Amino acid sequence: MGRGKLAIIGIGEMPTGWYPDMADWDMINNTCKEAIEDAGLDKNDIEGVITVNPMAQPKLQSEIGFGKIPEELGLKGCKDICIVNAGGATTTNCLRMAEHWVNNGIAKTVLINHVTRHSGIDPEMAINFFATAGIDLQWEYPFGMTYNAVMALGATRYMYETGATEEDIAAVCVMMRQWAELDPNARFRKPLTLEKVLESRMVSTPLRSYMCNVLSDGAAAMVVTSGELAPQISKTPVYKLGESVRYTGATATQRKGRTGAEGRSAAQEALDQAGLTLGDMDILELYVAYPMGFLRVLETLGICEPGKAGQFVREGHCSPGGKLPCSTIGELSRGHTGSGVSMAYYVECARQLMGKAGERQVPNAKYLLTNAAGGSGMNMIWSVFGRDIP
Amino acid sequence: MTEKKSLKPVPVTQPWTEEFWKAAKQHKFLIQHCHDCDINIFYPRKFCPDCWGTNLGWIEASGRGKLHTYTVTHYGVEQRFAADLPFVLALVDMEEGIRVMTRIVNCKHENLKCDMPVELTWEDLDENFSLYFFQPAKA
Repeated sequence: MGRGKLAIIGIGEMPTGWYPDMADWDMINNTCKEAIEDAGLDKNDIEGVITVNPMAQPKLQSEIGFGKIPEELGLKGCKDICIVNAGGATTTNCLRMAEHWVNNGIAKTVLINHVTRHSGIDPEMAINFFATAGIDLQWEYPFGMTYNAVMALGATRYMYETGATEEDIAAVCVMMRQWAELDPNARFRKPLTLEKVLESRMVSTPLRSYMCNVLSDGAAAMVVTSGELAPQISKTPVYKLGESVRYTGATATQRKGRTGAEGRSAAQEALDQAGLTLGDMDILELYVAYPMGFLRVLETLGICEPGKAGQFVREGHCSPGGKLPCSTIGELSRGHTGSGVSMAYYVECARQLMGKAGERQVPNAKYLLTNAAGGSGMNMIWSVFGRDIP
Repeated sequence: MTEKKSLKPVPVTQPWTEEFWKAAKQHKFLIQHCHDCDINIFYPRKFCPDCWGTNLGWIEASGRGKLHTYTVTHYGVEQRFAADLPFVLALVDMEEGIRVMTRIVNCKHENLKCDMPVELTWEDLDENFSLYFFQPAKA
């Protein structure tokens, strides 16, 4: 892994939504084709396919895991395929594996994709899958623990320690909706007020329904190549400049190091590798899944004092037109596509740095910092991307 | 009398945690202890997670602890937990230096506060399992 060794050169994505009548393979075909065309490549130029494991969809998992994508799409130059699984951190690992492939003679260009169709999952299986995914069957599940509750536990402690309020958390939902209003790929796009968030149904204190994710269908794809080949293929390559990671623990009782000094030092390592500083970042593409995580990350990075991130968000600094644009896909209003959420972020990183973000485009965006995490917070990954290699 | 079978999920155990659950059924909270590096371990492991030693034993917890954090869950649980709503999920720091995920019972929700003292209590699940819950400490 190294600075500028991997570049994203093509992206494809369908709007996140609820498509019970659409075929899985329709979504795969369309997004993969779009990414390859966006890269300006012929389909037969793709030499490898690496796919995000569709964890909750066993049929797709075995079809894709046993090699159907290159055959279905007629990728005649394909040399190998692989399916990768690290929960919400899967896409990061797809990129890492692709970086190895494109720099070691395994494949010159690699297609990375994901497809998630929550609407197609048998309801009973879905309930059980999401009740237990990332929840320990011995030490958490018997007590009635849920994903929402794990996040709510963190929020209660955060509010206690810092004096942050429910309004601070709600402000993140409103800010994200402002981005989603400008995003044709977001599922929820009507304007949202602080009052509406605070009046929504209490799920698990202090979390209300507008602060929780809505499971959705989605698919996306990227084409990547080596940093060396990228400028020969693409006019707008987006380089991975730095990356760092910490494993923080599978169960909530054991977890440490996500925030505070340890979290900060992880982000700093990624910036150091890129040869850049936090101040050089034009956008923070923060993947947090829940709004209080967003506040904690701003404070962990040292952008705000503990407990002050909510005010920072309310002042509009993270919103469209703000001085520190953040999470420009408006994740909480985007709809949650399982392991695909971090793919949506990496696609957006590329889109912003390629200058293709439409109404959401951050003017002259050159460098950005993004993060990813898996499970209910098993790790924390920081990456820096740029339009050039500084 | 017919045996009481839990409709709720029971803990999925491992060979080295069976002793913990056997004691729990007797309403005793055992904490695994490494005699080699003298640390208390939760949850119980096959090898000491610090030194990988196998010189492991058990101590009985005092039952006293501090409420690290909590959430009152009102909505969004599986049907099998629905009858319990609203219920309080929590992380409790026990006096012996371990943190557990648990429920807080016998409390007024509005009186809950992080770092308040709590004490152990038990909920019988079925003929094999009792779960460790906590309640506000009696003054």
